[in-house]
Amino acid sequence: MADYKEAPLATRPKTLDPAEYFNLSHDYRRAEEDRAALRARLKRQYILQLNNPHRKELIEDPALTRWTYARTNNIYPNFRPTPKTSLLGALFGVVPLFVLYFVFKTDRDKREDKIKAGNFQRPYKLTS
Amino acid sequence: MLKILVPTLMLFPTIWLSSPKWLWPTATAQSLLIAFISLTWLKWTSETGWSTSNMYLATDPLSTPLLVLTCWLLPLMILASQNHIYPEPIARQRLYITLLASLQTFLIMAFGATEIIMFYIMFEATLIPTLIIITRWGNQTERLNAGTYFLFYTLAGSLPLLVALLLLQQTTGTLSMFILQYSQPLTLNSWGHSIWWAGCLIAFLVKMPLYGVHLWLPKAHVEAPVAGSMVLAAVLLKLGGYGMMRMMVMLDPLSKELAYPFIILALWGILMTGSICLRQTDLKSLIAYSSVSHMGLVAGGILIQTSWGFTGAIILMIAHGLVSSALFCLANTAYERTHSRTMVLARGLQMIFPLTAVWWFVANLANLALPPLPNLMGEIMIITTLFNWSPWTIMLTGLGTLITAAYSLYLFLMTQRGPAPNHIKGLSPFHTREHLLMVLHLLPVILLVTKPELMWGWCH
Repeated sequence: MADYKEAPLATRPKTLDPAEYFNLSHDYRRAEEDRAALRARLKRQYILQLNNPHRKELIEDPALTRWTYARTNNIYPNFRPTPKTSLLGALFGVVPLFVLYFVFKTDRDKREDKIKAGNFQRPYKLTS
Repeated sequence: MLKILVPTLMLFPTIWLSSPKWLWPTATAQSLLIAFISLTWLKWTSETGWSTSNMYLATDPLSTPLLVLTCWLLPLMILASQNHIYPEPIARQRLYITLLASLQTFLIMAFGATEIIMFYIMFEATLIPTLIIITRWGNQTERLNAGTYFLFYTLAGSLPLLVALLLLQQTTGTLSMFILQYSQPLTLNSWGHSIWWAGCLIAFLVKMPLYGVHLWLPKAHVEAPVAGSMVLAAVLLKLGGYGMMRMMVMLDPLSKELAYPFIILALWGILMTGSICLRQTDLKSLIAYSSVSHMGLVAGGILIQTSWGFTGAIILMIAHGLVSSALFCLANTAYERTHSRTMVLARGLQMIFPLTAVWWFVANLANLALPPLPNLMGEIMIITTLFNWSPWTIMLTGLGTLITAAYSLYLFLMTQRGPAPNHIKGLSPFHTREHLLMVLHLLPVILLVTKPELMWGWCH
């Protein structure tokens, strides 16, 4: 059944129609017809806009609009502090600040001690 | 100074008394004339620094490049706004250009101020026209939120500054920049002194913006119309840097210990905001986050208080101002044609607009600090002085440079390469005005390669 293809201009025989072949219920068949009608309406709307010679603007894609809205404006309302998000926030937002403070402070204090003891070498001249 | 200020004030009668047919040409012509006259400031007459004819407004090698940038930007803003403001009624067009001109006036007086209180008043005054531009002429409903964030972040940061300035006036008796650089540093060793130090700087750090308090910037830049984005990115951020450089003079010796958290926030912010840039879908939002990243480097350079740091900061501020404004203009051209800021929609533009692809290319190369452009000069000086400050910073700044290159190339490839979308038909060709706008932005950047002494400031 899966690789049966009818001849290009012929129609499929009734017994090989997937709804009959798999004995699908009438409710399912009606739902399938409604979905096909909806798809056809959407496609008709898109094709009308695409081939309209007076159209100057972009065809609006609601899926794209929803996607960009979700990625830019809808992030915080769906945020919830969970163990994972708290860990990520701490790891990338809090811990590096303290680690870097510790690193820079000890490095600069060591340099300050060397300067006070007179050991600090300056092999390069940076400014003239 | 008056030969610039009076023509700028005379822009207001020009705007309101021109006939509607001649409004835009006269406004552009007068502001271009002011821009050319402002170039005379670049000739420094005195070796000591301040060049002034009265006590209240003066220019010195720090404020001169920023003043020239401000004056240069006004005709560019008027050129850029022409397309989207044209359909509106004539009174609203006049009002829009009036807001831009008033912003210009406040900025000239802010950069030229010699009393710090005058600088503070002008600093606050620039908020009002910008707020009106963002909330009235922005395009999405989020502009109200953006205006609120913009206004209240800056105001909350600058109230401590007012208190700190009044305290400084009480203790030293003056707030004139001529005198304060020679005053004795205050040596109260208490918490109050630390809070005073923080109060002096927080307003400018919010304006720059520093990484932790940068939240207003992507909102304000994205929601503003093109002229608002241009002036925000090019000049208003630099007000923060300029203010910090002026205040640093009198904040020693406390800055040695207290600056650590802010330097760390600035450097870590370069990495974080650069990484966010790589995940953006909105074109203007990407350029806004790249502004935060560059300004983090500038903040780090200023807080270190070395001469190379200051010099690198000024050079990077000027170069970033021009390049960021150019990128916002390019984003606006894409927005005017597709009415959407989504990057995946405006793909494959190189095949359709070849000359504009050249401007995109040059602007993106400048953004990623390609030698010999001044962006690289500023970044290299700041990175070198940070390395001298502590060798461990090279990890952060080196990685930051890498990420900057990554997102600049990402921006270029997303908008220019790839297949053009099938359903976009109405891409009108580029106007000469838009090409002129891009040339006027990018030509100064290229010319500054030949004479960077104009931007170096007084530390060399």
